[in-house]
Amino acid sequence: MEITVLLFATLKDLVGTNKLLLALRDNETTIGDVRSALIEQYPDVKDNLKIALASINREFAFPADIVNDGDEVAFFPPVSGGCHDT
Amino acid sequence: MTLSDYPEFVGLPTDSIDHDAVIESITTPATGAVCLFTGMVRGETQKEGHLPSTDYLEYEAYEPMALAKMRQVIGEIRQMFPLVQGIAIYQRIGKLDVGQNTVLIACSSGHRDQGCFEAARYGIDRLKEIVPVWKKEVGVDGATWVEGEYKPSIEDQA
Repeated sequence: MEITVLLFATLKDLVGTNKLLLALRDNETTIGDVRSALIEQYPDVKDNLKIALASINREFAFPADIVNDGDEVAFFPPVSGGCHDT
Repeated sequence: MTLSDYPEFVGLPTDSIDHDAVIESITTPATGAVCLFTGMVRGETQKEGHLPSTDYLEYEAYEPMALAKMRQVIGEIRQMFPLVQGIAIYQRIGKLDVGQNTVLIACSSGHRDQGCFEAARYGIDRLKEIVPVWKKEVGVDGATWVEGEYKPSIEDQA
């Protein structure tokens, strides 16, 4: 199966793109597996990928959540929007 | 999410937020009070891990998820503050210079003691936890993405 992976902020800059297609095995593939596949592909970004938040189809997702063919998966750092008071 | 007849607005504009227009949009015939929180780009920071001098910020959003999570925040406000009437949440994106407004949370109610202050406070705090938006500080000393600290759990799903 194939999924779309979106990257934001630090991850987008480090990987060099905000969107990539990832081919994965068909059965019981989890967010944890997707993260591992990305780390294998981009070993230099390992530290950031390990702590990144994840989403499936625009909702927060967690390591054991199953990913299905055609899903939109995203990885991103903890959010920092709002005002500039941080 | 509670269905509401009261006005609700979310948005990720690149242009300046017109505060008067937002207030008007959430004012109903039963409204007597509006509490509006606004944030802006600060030029000077004295805090470790931040550039001391910021020229501008670059805001980026995961737009469809950000809009969905803003609507989730509105739903949470409705549950917690049932007397709040209109609710507007806007986060600007793109390049924003020092002094420009960046975010707006506005809540209306019949009277000031019916939750509009608390709702606006909750709205900005919650936005900074679950709405996928990031800012990059750009100054003479370089550029750095600001990363938040909040780790969402299953309770943060809509």
